[in-house]
Amino acid sequence: MEAERAEVRALEAEIAALRRACEEPTAPWKETAKAKKSFKNIYQSESERLESSKDLRRQLGHLESELSLLSTLTGISIRKYSKKTEDLTSTVMTEKNIKKVLQRYKLSGDCHMVTFQLEFQILETQNEKNLSSVVTDLNIIMEPTEYPELSELVSRAEERRDLFMFFRSLHFFVEWCEYRKRTFKHFKEKYPDVVQLPEGATSSCLGIQNASQPGFELVIVWRIQIDDEGKVLPKLDLLTKIPQQALELDKKNVIESAPLSFRTLLGVLGIEASLESLIKLFFNTKE
Amino acid sequence: MEPANTLREDGECKGGILAHLERLETQMNRSHKRFEGPQRTQAEESTLGTRIHKLRLLRDKLRAEVKQRQAEIEASAASTEPDQTLETSEQEVLETKLENLKALLQAYHFTGLSGKLTSRGVSVCIHTAFDGNLLDSYIVDLVIEKPLWIHHHSVPVFIPLEEIAAKYLQTDVQHFLFSLCEHLNGYAGRKYQADRLQSDFAAFLAGPLQRNSLCNVLSFTYKVELGGQSFLFCARLLYKDLTVTLPTDVTVTHRGTDALSTSWEEQRVSHENLFRTTSLHKAFTSFAGGEKLNMSLPPCYFH
Repeated sequence: MEAERAEVRALEAEIAALRRACEEPTAPWKETAKAKKSFKNIYQSESERLESSKDLRRQLGHLESELSLLSTLTGISIRKYSKKTEDLTSTVMTEKNIKKVLQRYKLSGDCHMVTFQLEFQILETQNEKNLSSVVTDLNIIMEPTEYPELSELVSRAEERRDLFMFFRSLHFFVEWCEYRKRTFKHFKEKYPDVVQLPEGATSSCLGIQNASQPGFELVIVWRIQIDDEGKVLPKLDLLTKIPQQALELDKKNVIESAPLSFRTLLGVLGIEASLESLIKLFFNTKE
Repeated sequence: MEPANTLREDGECKGGILAHLERLETQMNRSHKRFEGPQRTQAEESTLGTRIHKLRLLRDKLRAEVKQRQAEIEASAASTEPDQTLETSEQEVLETKLENLKALLQAYHFTGLSGKLTSRGVSVCIHTAFDGNLLDSYIVDLVIEKPLWIHHHSVPVFIPLEEIAAKYLQTDVQHFLFSLCEHLNGYAGRKYQADRLQSDFAAFLAGPLQRNSLCNVLSFTYKVELGGQSFLFCARLLYKDLTVTLPTDVTVTHRGTDALSTSWEEQRVSHENLFRTTSLHKAFTSFAGGEKLNMSLPPCYFH
């Protein structure tokens, strides 16, 4: 008796499982993809298919140009982007006609050689009168660079949840660094014996000295700072190293006023010309 | 009688099985009628037996059905012609790529600058934000010709667009856009603070907030309470640099004829410093004892 009852139960269970298997649609995504394909195949002839591919390629080309334009304008190349939306509207809110949506974004890309990854959240609240979008969280991850100013920028931007300032400042900061690198490299290549870059290619200072005039040295320090509001400001300073004897001969206090004079020179000639003129000083030696 | 054992598991065609079942049922019913009492268990057994039999048949039927469905799926999967799959998948690849690029273009919005190509040049969209709040966007349509010119824009009339264009448009478009961006963000930030002051802290103000369209000259009178006494302070905020959101000049004066006591004078000076270093609405939040007067949502900003 017991055996029979057990068998009944086993059979009933198996039947229920089989019934479920029969009811299940055959891999739904496959079905819709198949349906899409067959739909297209019915209504598209061979030539039409080629046309739509051509059209798609044209659209792609257009979009690629737009991306290239934006990348040039902003100085930022975005490589990956994702967005997830979460509806936070409660029933109480719906009654009052208020809608709350949380959007989570992930963005990654680069600005010249600096790569970044951003994760941020935007809370959108819509009521009868208006729509507000607020950045509620911002996380910035950057690969370590030789620029400590960038980590300061990151913490400031994260604290203020200021996306725009981050990108603007990053762009200008990197541009200035690249310009400084190019300029220093140019002078090093043009006057290899006189110009030294003590810290290498990304050096923030350039030294000028002549072997035939030991003891005399000029150092130009070029710092690139990001202020509190996110403005990128280059700051150039001149440091002098003069032997004691020469200093005693300096009746007009030229050396003392050199740093200030340098600033004035910058204003008049600009960076490159000012540097060039200072370097040339070290050539007009034996007189 | 053990009907279950006399029948084969794989069964015959439907008609035959059902007929057999019926016979069995009538047999069972007859035996049930004939044998009662001590024959109860036997009747029960036969009921169970019949049930098992029925269930087995049903199970076999369902098994066959599932097998058939599976065969169908496999057949259809194999039957898709390879040529068609290749071509449509190329289209799908292009479509996916298109979707990706469209998304990346959208992402540029978060850099503060986005745009698109037009038939004659480019339409740039400048986005503004302040204190984590995303605010209005402004459009500038540029025609790429020699010289470059602005065909259409939505920049407010009190922003010195012509001045900025005269300085940079022909020599450095990027600089032109970023300078405009700075001006618009400065304006948006100041406007946001003024609006918040008016909407959230109206209770503190004695009289309307006086402001110009650029929101770089703000003047208001507010009540201050200290140890039971209350005074009226007049504040005048000047933002000489149009790209900043903190005032360059602040004067806080006392409204009244009597001179201020030292403690009140200290208050006046501290307020001046506060306005110089903190945004307006944050300053007033601290006056309110740090409580958040969050009665209404921020004013209207569409984008």
